[in-house]
Amino acid sequence: MSDAHWLTATEISAAYAARHLSPLELVRALLDRIAALDPRIHAFIKVDAEAALDAAGLAEREIIAGRARGPLHGVPVGIKDIIDVAGLPTTCHSKLLLDHVAAADAEVTARLRAAGAIILGKLALHEFAIGGPAFDLPFPPARNPWNTSHHPGGSSSGSGAALAAGLVPLALGTDTGGSVRNPAGACGVVGLKPTYGLVSRRGVFPLAFTLDHVGPMARSVGDVAVLLDILAGHDPADPGSVATASRPFGEDLGRGVRGLRIGFVRHFHETDLTADPEIAAALDEAARVFEAEGAHIRTVTLPSLREFSGVQRVIMLAESWAIHAGWLRERPGDYSASSRRKLMSGAFLSAGDYVSAQQRRSALIGAVDDVFRDVDALLCASAMDPACRIEDAEAVARTYPRQARNPFNLTGHPALAMMGGLSRAGLPLPVQLVGRSHDEVTLLRVAAAFERATAWHQRRAPI
Amino acid sequence: MPSDDAKPSPIDVLALARQAGLDKAATEFPEDVVAAAEAAAQAQRACAGGGQPTDEPWPPMRARTMS
Repeated sequence: MSDAHWLTATEISAAYAARHLSPLELVRALLDRIAALDPRIHAFIKVDAEAALDAAGLAEREIIAGRARGPLHGVPVGIKDIIDVAGLPTTCHSKLLLDHVAAADAEVTARLRAAGAIILGKLALHEFAIGGPAFDLPFPPARNPWNTSHHPGGSSSGSGAALAAGLVPLALGTDTGGSVRNPAGACGVVGLKPTYGLVSRRGVFPLAFTLDHVGPMARSVGDVAVLLDILAGHDPADPGSVATASRPFGEDLGRGVRGLRIGFVRHFHETDLTADPEIAAALDEAARVFEAEGAHIRTVTLPSLREFSGVQRVIMLAESWAIHAGWLRERPGDYSASSRRKLMSGAFLSAGDYVSAQQRRSALIGAVDDVFRDVDALLCASAMDPACRIEDAEAVARTYPRQARNPFNLTGHPALAMMGGLSRAGLPLPVQLVGRSHDEVTLLRVAAAFERATAWHQRRAPI
Repeated sequence: MPSDDAKPSPIDVLALARQAGLDKAATEFPEDVVAAAEAAAQAQRACAGGGQPTDEPWPPMRARTMS
């Protein structure tokens, strides 16, 4: 099958069932593509070809024998290198953990293996999921397949880049201040930060305990739903994990948005920050598309981005300092300059700052929940700018904080970023959708309606 | 109240960094230490005010399910 590298997981599963494609054929094709393209994209830190081929052979035998294990059986997946895969290094893209080999799978990795997915390798990130694109680390930063001189977003940069380059059909990312949604939007794929506690974080190197989420990334909304079905579930080993009713997350994907109420958070990109005109136009167009599909659009007001960001940053800096203080004291030179600057900030915050921020957080969660009494989903900006050039450190520093993703790490609401257009320069323009806590079903329904109406997901990076 | 542009003195920052055990970083990367302190001060200012000191902060994070 030609172009198998662009198939979605759903299409791969159907092709296996129809015997039009086999897991070994697909894995070999992806390994060839990685060998050809990754020297320019740098999405992978580690390609585990031997184990992937072994797993593909096993999946092939099981499928032929009629022992299919479900929709991810034999489907390759890339794992952000902050998530443990037994026997492989978890470097967090850092010199500090170059020799750290995971003894056991993270809960999400174990769930993928049990579903028959094939672990293709470990994907690049910003160091410890915080730094930014850096050139003073043991591995180069991932680049945007739409234009390799541009930033792919982060911190799950390799996950977004690998999907957009057709190197993997599925990937895992993590999201503490927007790190699944930023690369999803910048690379023109789909990334979901689920409700806090829905997906276990056990075996994931923490950045900030009360803000960290693991999230599915894919090239279609349907694939994100399928991947979330496998990842979600209570894990008693994760103290933040919650038990929820079991329900297929994609069960409403085909229902459309007729009659749904979508709140448009205009002040995020119009007054709190001023978005690039192309980003603003993409958001207006998204609102128009939803209205044309039968949704009721109304402008809603949340607390300001300044308030959300201030509280989120105090919590993130305090919690990450607690994790990194020992290394920052003993080995500060082993961090990239950008990580070192960010992670040391927590040393200058007090315990009182942290507790005050947690108090403020509760009120902010309540404010967002109040808005959800009148709407079924929110539409808002993700990034305020298209991806900048990766080697322009000043542009990276200026644009990186211009975002509206971190409010929902703070509140825990599920939030998804996807492509809402293409800039004149040929770079994806992101939009963000947000749902009620534990209502990923409706959030994915809204995203799927947008995907069908616009078909941006069918556009391919010109790589 | 300090203005948004108020920056901590580098001498004070480096002394605070040493109190926090960051002697090595203060010696080898003093600009990074000062930048980190400025970022912390910005976050403090953006987070200041608005809450009640007796508000319950526990649990630190639990997404609510709406009825």
